Amino acid sequence: MPNLMRLLFSLLLSACFSGPAQAVSSGWQSASHLKAELVSQYRQVTPGQRVQLALHFVPDKHWHTYWQNPGDSGLATSLSWQLPKGVTAGAIQWPTPSAIALPPLMNYGFEGQTILLSELSIAPDYSADSLPIQLQVDWLVCEEVCIPADAQFSLTLPVAAEPLPAEQYQGLFTQAQQQQPVPLNNDGRFDTTGGAFSAVLDWPQGAQVRQFFVAASELVDHAAAQQISLHNGQLLLQQPLNTYFTTAPAQLELVVITDNGAYSLQLQQAGQVGTEILITAGQNTDTALWLILLLAASGGLLLNLMPCVFPVLSLKALSIAANSQQRSRQQRDAIFYSLGVLLSFVALALLLLALRSAGAAVGWGFQLQSPYLVALLVYLLLALGLSLSGVVQFGLGLMNSGTRLTAGNGSKSAFFTGVLAVVVASPCTAPFMGTALGYAVSQNAAVALTVFVALGLGMALPFLLLAFVPGVAGLLPRPGAWMETLKQWLAYPLYLSAAWLLWVYGRQVGIDAQALVLVGAVCIAAACWLWGRKQLAQAGKVSVVLALLLLLLALLLPVWAPTQTATLAQPQSSQHWQRWSAEKLQQLRADGKPVLVNMTADWCITCLVNERVALNTDSSKAALALYDVTYLKGDWTLRDAAITEYLRLYQRDGVPLYVVYWPGQPPEVLPQILTPDTLATTLERLSRQP
Amino acid sequence: MKLTQLVLAASAAVFSLGLAAAPQVGAPAPDFTVVDSKGNSHNLKDFAGKHVVLEWTNHDCPFVKKHYSGNMQALQAEMTAQNVVWLSVISSAPGKQGHVSGAKADELTASRSALPTAVVFDESGVVGKAYDAKTTPHMYVIDKAGVLQYMGGIDSIPSAKVEDIAKATPYFANAAKAVLTGQTPDPAVTKPYGCSVKY
Repeated sequence: MPNLMRLLFSLLLSACFSGPAQAVSSGWQSASHLKAELVSQYRQVTPGQRVQLALHFVPDKHWHTYWQNPGDSGLATSLSWQLPKGVTAGAIQWPTPSAIALPPLMNYGFEGQTILLSELSIAPDYSADSLPIQLQVDWLVCEEVCIPADAQFSLTLPVAAEPLPAEQYQGLFTQAQQQQPVPLNNDGRFDTTGGAFSAVLDWPQGAQVRQFFVAASELVDHAAAQQISLHNGQLLLQQPLNTYFTTAPAQLELVVITDNGAYSLQLQQAGQVGTEILITAGQNTDTALWLILLLAASGGLLLNLMPCVFPVLSLKALSIAANSQQRSRQQRDAIFYSLGVLLSFVALALLLLALRSAGAAVGWGFQLQSPYLVALLVYLLLALGLSLSGVVQFGLGLMNSGTRLTAGNGSKSAFFTGVLAVVVASPCTAPFMGTALGYAVSQNAAVALTVFVALGLGMALPFLLLAFVPGVAGLLPRPGAWMETLKQWLAYPLYLSAAWLLWVYGRQVGIDAQALVLVGAVCIAAACWLWGRKQLAQAGKVSVVLALLLLLLALLLPVWAPTQTATLAQPQSSQHWQRWSAEKLQQLRADGKPVLVNMTADWCITCLVNERVALNTDSSKAALALYDVTYLKGDWTLRDAAITEYLRLYQRDGVPLYVVYWPGQPPEVLPQILTPDTLATTLERLSRQP
Repeated sequence: MKLTQLVLAASAAVFSLGLAAAPQVGAPAPDFTVVDSKGNSHNLKDFAGKHVVLEWTNHDCPFVKKHYSGNMQALQAEMTAQNVVWLSVISSAPGKQGHVSGAKADELTASRSALPTAVVFDESGVVGKAYDAKTTPHMYVIDKAGVLQYMGGIDSIPSAKVEDIAKATPYFANAAKAVLTGQTPDPAVTKPYGCSVKY
């Protein structure tokens, strides 16, 4: 029956075609829900010429035909030319397609009037005086239901010495050109590993990209969300692979839709280069810089409340506030203090950038990856604590709880208070702000420095407010005897911070070395006590010498400490995780096994909390077992170049980092703060997408 | 040198949810329970030990009509004669093209001399989405162990023309024959073509 109908239809069409023997148009042919004509750009052509022919489709409202990649269903329009010898036709020059959603499916095609251009090349030695053109067109026109149709179009053009344009159709050809994507020669590569189509291309155009179309069929999952990101002049695109994807062509056409129009370009398969393009969660480089700076400043403000910083700075704040009658001195101190903070942060940032540009695999938190630096921080926090407890007075004006500000060298003292604040804050920045700072460092040097400056300004802000906004100082309680008590109480957060760092040190280098540092801590305590007696004029020069010797001994002890890193994170039989290595991860992924990667460090409080509440729970262990997930844990407590490299792959510069690899899916990065059910729900969701 | 690039997602959650459920050749076929035109319920597990063919269909679709010009009936006869379970699945939602009652389905089977084991209904589209069925026709072969062995098009020429059937490589028929003789089909995944499934 369909054959009979097709025959009748063809007869009908041939009957319609009864126009003049030579014309620039085949005349309109009407089919179900679509009418079509074939039009020539020239009414007379000449040998050696190239002529554009337009197949002009006008479908009924809401009916559409299909692009070269029709999407999940449908069929691309196909042309078959019958031309005399010496005349050849080029491929269809497809107009910019649109996405036609038919949930859960997606088609790519054209609604409304559509012009498909093809170029005929006439050989220079073409000798006949006319050019007969026969075109067989197969198309599928669909609304929700589809109607396939085919038709023959004929037109004959006179051939003479001069080409003559068909004036009445110039508007149509202009319109056809406007509907074409603009071809670009940008370099671009694509890859199909990791369950997704991913592409990287140079994008000096800078235009905001809204959407893209991959011309190869059965390559992308057409209905799935597209990831589009502009990063350092490169356009990064990603879309999950089609279920029916088998092999990728060596080269494919891509059409991108921007605010300034559509462009087409060719992408090469990345092949051997191994461009793995990854997807990361919750971070977007397009975030405005001002927002990042604001976040950094808020982070700096929060640092003032950290247990290692608060005791020191709150007393300084009170002492500044107390000097309300000496406003100019207050302001000068606040400025010098802020300078101290800012320059210290800038110095840290420069150090980090210098180390990285020298090729060292360091990230933020590097200051805690050196056991010796951790030991020094233990001593420093202990000494500051002892000072608050009243054992010793340090000359920085820092601990002055009374109204007296060190005269003369006040500005210098304020400056070094700022430096000290940054130093004591450094163990706290690593665990709590590693990611934010890591982000900064991964940007260019100017952005990195700006972010660190914002952080410093945030940290210095309370002091600047106290000194420059008149009402603020008045809000603080008046100084009095109660401050001495408060000061002594505030020593204890410092002792606790020291205890925490001692634990980190012990985890890094073992219990024997930890014992040596504990001896060093006793030396520091003794040195402080002797120095304090000297300050009270209760001791002589011998005590000073002794104190210095004790200090020296304390500093040397961690140098002599035996290193014993092998105890670090050794898996035991009862553990539900294995030690991470790049090779092991690669092997597991190649075997198609689901994998959870956890990058952690002992000094990372967030990491430890996450493990306790979300990863080491019975429900998470059960979820890992249920989905047969291999749990790999990488320990960044000490410097580890392989882990730093892995973190950078995910644009991280610090821990924690949690990545779930599900076979056939792009890697999924979990949030930095895990809730008890994060892992189970993620695995459950991924398992439902086999 | 390993070159690494990052795509940063504003929201990975949106991305993940956008991922369609995808069946995989070589993995267990998604389980389902469906009711056939006679009101009988079928579960994939009921057919353990038998090869199963799933054919997504919509009798009004021109691409389906193309193959019901004789090709589909011949395949059904050939397969069911070898004890293969052939389920013609209709995922058209109520009111959409191809949605039929049980009686109408039986009438279509009789009038077209079709020979499926059963015509089953998937009005909600749950089974179609689990198999990521996109077109009609769309073919799947599941082996005796319940493992998906083939998914994709019925043959290699995407057109609605009957005369193309003879010229095309019969991907589905080749795959089904391979599975019947205990071999692994090659290709096991091909491009499905046809009308969209009317979910």
